[in-house]
Amino acid sequence: MPRRKPGTLVPLETEILEVALSLLRSGVATFHGFGLASTMRDRRGARSLTAHGTLYKALSRLEELGLLASRWEDAAAVDGRPRRRLYELTAQGARAAEQATADRVVPRSPRIAAEPA
Amino acid sequence: MTPEPAARLRTARLVVRWVRFYTRGLPAAIADRRVEEIEADLQDQIADERANGTSDARIALGIGSRLVRGLAADAAWRRRHIAASGRMSTPVFRSVARVSLVAAFILLLPFVAMQVTDQVVWSRFDFLVAGALLLGTGLLLELAARKARHHSYRAAAVVAIGAVFLLVWLNLAVGIIGEPGEPANALYVGVLAVGLGGAVTARFRPAGMARAALATALAQALVAVVALLTGKAQAPVSSVSEVVGLNGLFVALFIVSAALFWHAASRPPARAR
Repeated sequence: MPRRKPGTLVPLETEILEVALSLLRSGVATFHGFGLASTMRDRRGARSLTAHGTLYKALSRLEELGLLASRWEDAAAVDGRPRRRLYELTAQGARAAEQATADRVVPRSPRIAAEPA
Repeated sequence: MTPEPAARLRTARLVVRWVRFYTRGLPAAIADRRVEEIEADLQDQIADERANGTSDARIALGIGSRLVRGLAADAAWRRRHIAASGRMSTPVFRSVARVSLVAAFILLLPFVAMQVTDQVVWSRFDFLVAGALLLGTGLLLELAARKARHHSYRAAAVVAIGAVFLLVWLNLAVGIIGEPGEPANALYVGVLAVGLGGAVTARFRPAGMARAALATALAQALVAVVALLTGKAQAPVSSVSEVVGLNGLFVALFIVSAALFWHAASRPPARAR
């Protein structure tokens, strides 16, 4: 498998940003792993959910890149189930998502950082 | 609280066990976060699909599928965090992870085939047995590769382990002699016992292993002779040529393995580990 270029996003990461932007625009500022996987499945019209490893690896990388931020949900909201990690789009993430959406007209790998010299 | 049906609960537990396994040795904050996140995800998936009326078997299948499809990403994620934390992944972890990945991908083939055709029908027990066989074979190969001091010893072990794997797989699938389920196939348990007993008695030393492999070849040949003398080899189920050919193949593999072990015994080790 070819290595990705530094500063580029893979299609799943772009998709996550776009879904996050669409949720934000519909008034949902935060989302959690399963909710995201479920929304992406519905958008694709697919039968299966994104694999655990693939999904959380992508979320972790987007967070490291500063495109997403995360925090644990409040203990009061948990109600006996395991607490969720809540993600939200950062301003930089929102710009990257808008860029990715615009780039779909002329497809190319979205860039979020300059390549090292 | 409604009791969780066994299938989906077992699968969810399997996922959590896998997450705990591949986060071992990572900084606690990173490992704990991953475990908690996956636990919440599993809980959400189960609750959501139950609310949508999905059957328990289907939920378990969905969770298992997400686990298997994400294995490579899990391994990559761990490698990145191990590198970032400056820690070393243990050789045992690497071996088990490598073998688990290969076994999972092999098992994925019948699993996917079952989704698209009715010609492939594997029960949960079939997957369990095949998984155990693949994992056992893979771990034995890893062990041989790590501990062998001589290239010939390593090659001999690969041939012997491969032959045993094929012998067990063939017997579990259809049997070598007669119809599937023919009791005469139980004689192959004796062949395996000869090989295992010989290897343990030889304490895995090359000269002893050569003798053990040779004894296994003789036991294999003896089974073929018994099958022929008792009239078990009959066309069209298993003709004389099939019984002779298949058993001959295993005899040849065990003899090749014996020769390689003998070669390893007659030469000084190439390197010490």
